Amino acid sequence: MIPASRVIACAIVCLSIFAVLPQGQSQTYEGKQLVKAELLADTNAVVPGKTFTVGLLLRMAPGWHTYWKFSGDAGLPTELKWKLPPGWKIGEIQWPIPLKTIDPGDIETYGYENEVLLMQEITPPQKLDNSPAKLSADVNWLVCEKICIPGSATLQLELPTSTTSEAANTELFALYRGLLPQNWPGSNVASASWSRTGSDLRLKVTSETLANFPTVDLFPLPEQGAVVGHPKIDSRSKSEVVFHIPIESSEKNLSSVPGLVVFSQRPNEDDRAAWQIATPPNVSTAGAAPVRGIFTFLLFGFLGGIILNLMPCVLPVISLKIFGFIQHAGQSRQKILRSGIAFAAGIFAWFIALALLLIVLKGAGREVTWGGFQFTNAYFVLALSVIVLVFALNLFGVFEISLPQSMTRGLLSTTERKDDLGSFFQGIFATVLATPCTAPFLGTALGFAFSQSPAIILSMFVAIAAGMSAPYLLLSAQPAWLRFLPKPGPWMLHVKQFMGFLLLATLLFLLYVLGAQRGLEGAIWASCFLLLISIACWMKGAFITPTASVTTRRISVVLVLVLVLASGIYFISGKFRSTTLASVGSRLRGDWQVFTPDRLQAELEQGHSVFVDFTAAWCLTCKFNEANVLESAAVREAFQRHAIVKLKADWTNGDPVITKLLQQFGRPGVPLYVLYPGKSEKPIVFPELLTRSIILEKLEATSRAVASQ
Amino acid sequence: MKTKTILTIITALMATAVFAFDPPPVGSAAPDFSLTDASGKTHSLSQYKGKYVVLEWFNPECPFVKKHYGSGNMQKLQQQYTGKGVVWLTIDSNAPGTEGNITPEQAQKIAESWKTHQTALLLDSEGKAGRAYGAKNTPNMVVVSPEGKIAYEGAIDSKATPNPADIPNSTNYVKAALDESLAGKPVTTPQTKPYGCSVKYKSS
Repeated sequence: MIPASRVIACAIVCLSIFAVLPQGQSQTYEGKQLVKAELLADTNAVVPGKTFTVGLLLRMAPGWHTYWKFSGDAGLPTELKWKLPPGWKIGEIQWPIPLKTIDPGDIETYGYENEVLLMQEITPPQKLDNSPAKLSADVNWLVCEKICIPGSATLQLELPTSTTSEAANTELFALYRGLLPQNWPGSNVASASWSRTGSDLRLKVTSETLANFPTVDLFPLPEQGAVVGHPKIDSRSKSEVVFHIPIESSEKNLSSVPGLVVFSQRPNEDDRAAWQIATPPNVSTAGAAPVRGIFTFLLFGFLGGIILNLMPCVLPVISLKIFGFIQHAGQSRQKILRSGIAFAAGIFAWFIALALLLIVLKGAGREVTWGGFQFTNAYFVLALSVIVLVFALNLFGVFEISLPQSMTRGLLSTTERKDDLGSFFQGIFATVLATPCTAPFLGTALGFAFSQSPAIILSMFVAIAAGMSAPYLLLSAQPAWLRFLPKPGPWMLHVKQFMGFLLLATLLFLLYVLGAQRGLEGAIWASCFLLLISIACWMKGAFITPTASVTTRRISVVLVLVLVLASGIYFISGKFRSTTLASVGSRLRGDWQVFTPDRLQAELEQGHSVFVDFTAAWCLTCKFNEANVLESAAVREAFQRHAIVKLKADWTNGDPVITKLLQQFGRPGVPLYVLYPGKSEKPIVFPELLTRSIILEKLEATSRAVASQ
Repeated sequence: MKTKTILTIITALMATAVFAFDPPPVGSAAPDFSLTDASGKTHSLSQYKGKYVVLEWFNPECPFVKKHYGSGNMQKLQQQYTGKGVVWLTIDSNAPGTEGNITPEQAQKIAESWKTHQTALLLDSEGKAGRAYGAKNTPNMVVVSPEGKIAYEGAIDSKATPNPADIPNSTNYVKAALDESLAGKPVTTPQTKPYGCSVKYKSS
C-alpha cells in the first residue's frame, strides 16, 4: 500500500522533472546519430531578477568532435543565437578548456570530444508574470571526424516561474565549471611577460605551480584579423616556460596574443587546468613606453603643468599675470594671495571642465585626442582669435572692460571681488592658450591617462592644473619675492600697451593656423570679421561710456550688436564656412611627401626606410623641431645619404586616420616622430623635443643594422 | 666530441624547421610541384611561369567546398579568371583511404557533373604539394604571380561558414587579389586565415 500523499508527492516531483526536462534534438548522418543537442539550466525554476546559468549540452558520437571558440587550423566554433523574451540578458559563452588534436600535415585543432556543456549566465527581468519562461536558441555547429558535417537546431528551454528555486543538473554543471579556465593569478603566484622580435612573439611564464605539471601548453585565441602559427615551447625549466608564437599575418602592432596557458599531468588529460592570459594594452609597439605607476604619471602631469607656463603660447599671458602681480605689489599680502588663488581656481576650473568634457565624449565613443584637439577645429581657433584681439585692443586702451552695473551689484559687492573674478578668468584664459603645447612630459602622462578610467583622467587633469598654477600660488603666498619686482609707475602704461603687441603676435600665429586649415581665403574672411570686431570695440570705448548721454549709449549698443551679429553671419557662417579644408600638399616643402598608411606600406614593401613627421600648423614644438633639427643642413644631408623616405603626416585639421595612428603609439597629439627601419623591424619612436645628435645617431645605427643583414 | 653534439643539435633543429609545415610567407617564391591530372597529364607550377596561377585545395566531401561549388561561386570565379589568362589549378591532397581522396575516374566525373572550369584538377594523394604550401584546409587558396612569388594565401572569402547564403555578403579575397594584381596594383589583403575542413594528409 502506498500512501496517497506519497503518490501525490511523487507526481509533483515527476511533473517538475518533466517541466525542466529539456527538449533535445539530434543530428543524424547516414542513419547514425552524430550529435545530440539540448539546453539545460542549473535551476528548476526562474526567480525574477535572479541570475542563473543555461548550458548547451552537445553529445557527440565516439570519434566525432565539435570546436572551441578558436577552432585552430580547421573547423568552426559552435554558435548560439538566443531568442529571449524582452528584458532578459545573456552573458558570453563560457568555453571549457578544449582538447588539442594534431593531425598529419601539422594540422592543429581545438575542440571537444564525446560531450561538452557551453554555459552562459542569464538574468531574467525583475518583473515576470507567473507563466513559464520560454527560452529558445538557434544553434549551429560543425562536427568532424574524418569528414565534417555542419549541424543546426532550434532548441527550447521552458522553466516555471517561481519565487524560489532549487539547483538542478548540479553534477553536470559542476563538472564543466571545473573545466573552465581561471583568471590569471596574482603576480605572487605567476608572472607573464611578452616580447617580440621580428615576426616572433615570445611569452615567458614563471610560476612555482608549473613544477607540479609535466605538460604545459599555450592555446592561442587570436583576435579577428591576426593569423598566428602554432605555439611551440622554446624552453622549459621547473618553474619557467617560454612559448614561441610565430605571427603569420602582417600584423605590425601585435605585441601579445590572448589565450590559455594549459597544464596537466599528460596532454589532454581530464585534470587539465588553465589560466587565462588577458591582452595587455598594446604599448610595447610604441617603442619606449614602459608601464609606469599612476603616481609617476601624476607627477609627470604636475611637472608638465609647470612647464606649460614656459611655452611660447602662454608667454603673453604670463607677462599679463606678472604685470598683475606688480600692480598688486603695493597692496596687502592677503589680497595678493587671494588673487593668486583666484587665478589658480581659473586654471583648475578649465582643466576640470576639459576633463569632464573628455570623459563625456569618451563615453559617447567619439575619438578625441588632446594636444590641441580643439586646435584641429577652425571655429575654436577663430573664437580664440577674437578673444586675443579684444584683449589686445583693451591693452591698447581702445576700450575699458567694465562689467554691467547690475551684474556688478548682483555678483560682486566689493572691488576686491571684482579683481578676483578677473584673476579667475585670466586663469582660464592662460590655460586655453596652453593646450596645444604638449610638453614632453605631458605627452606621456596624457597618453597614459587616455586609456584610463574617468577617475584617473580627472586626477590627471587636476595634477596638470596644480602644476600650472603652482608658480602663481607660490608667488602670491610668498610676496617677499614680489618685493624684488619694480614699483608701479607711469611706465606701466607703456608696458601694458607693449603687451598688446605680444597679443597681436599671438593673433598672427592663430591666423596662420586658420590659413593652414582653411587656406588664404579662410584667413582673410576671418580677418574681415576681426576688423569689424575691432570697430565694435572702438565704438564701445568711444560712445558707450558712463559720461555719454543715455540716447548715444543706447544707439551705440544697438549698432555694436548689429555690427557683430551681421558680420558674424556674413563673414563666418557665410564666407568662412564655405571655404574648404586646405589641401595638405600645398604645405609641403622640400623633399617631404604626403603621408598615407598605404604610402608607408608601399615604401616599406620596396625595402625603403621611412621617417614620418606627425605635425600640425598650430603645433609650436613641431615648428621648432622642424626648423632647428629636421630642416638643418646636417640632418637633411643624413636623410639623403641613408636614402630615407620622408613622409609628413599633417594633423592640422585632425585627420581621423592620423588620430588613430597617434593613439596606436600611445600619443594624444603631435609632435610624434617615427622611423620605420624596414618591413619587419620595430619602428623607432623619437622624443617630442628633437635634437640633431639623436636623429643622426639613430640614422647611423639603423643603416648599419640594415647593411649587416 | 662536444662540437659533434652541437652539430647534431643544429642539424636536428634545421630538420624540424624543414618539416614544420608552415605556409611559405607571402612574397616568397612559390614552391614548385609536379602533379598529374585525371587524364594522367603532368602539370608543374614552373611550366606556367609568366602567368598568374591560382591554387585551390579541394575535397569534394567537405561542406565548405560544397558551399562554393553547390552555389556555383567557385565555377564562376574559375571561368572568369581562366578567361583572362589566369591558370587555375585545383589540388586534392587527401590521402588514400580518407574521405575526400579521389581517383582519376572520380575526378573526371566530378569535373563533369559539377561543371567546373579550372585549368586542371590535380591529384596529390601523397600530400607533397599540399605540405610544401602548408595547406591545412579545403578550400585553401593561393595566388602565384607571373614571377613565381606568392601574392596571396588564405581563405577564399571573409565569411567562415559552410552556409552558401553567406556568399553574397562576403568579401572574396581571391577575386580582390587577382583584380588588384591584374591591374598592376599591390594586393591590399595578401594573407588571411583560411577556413574549412582539414586536409587529410597521409601520416608521415
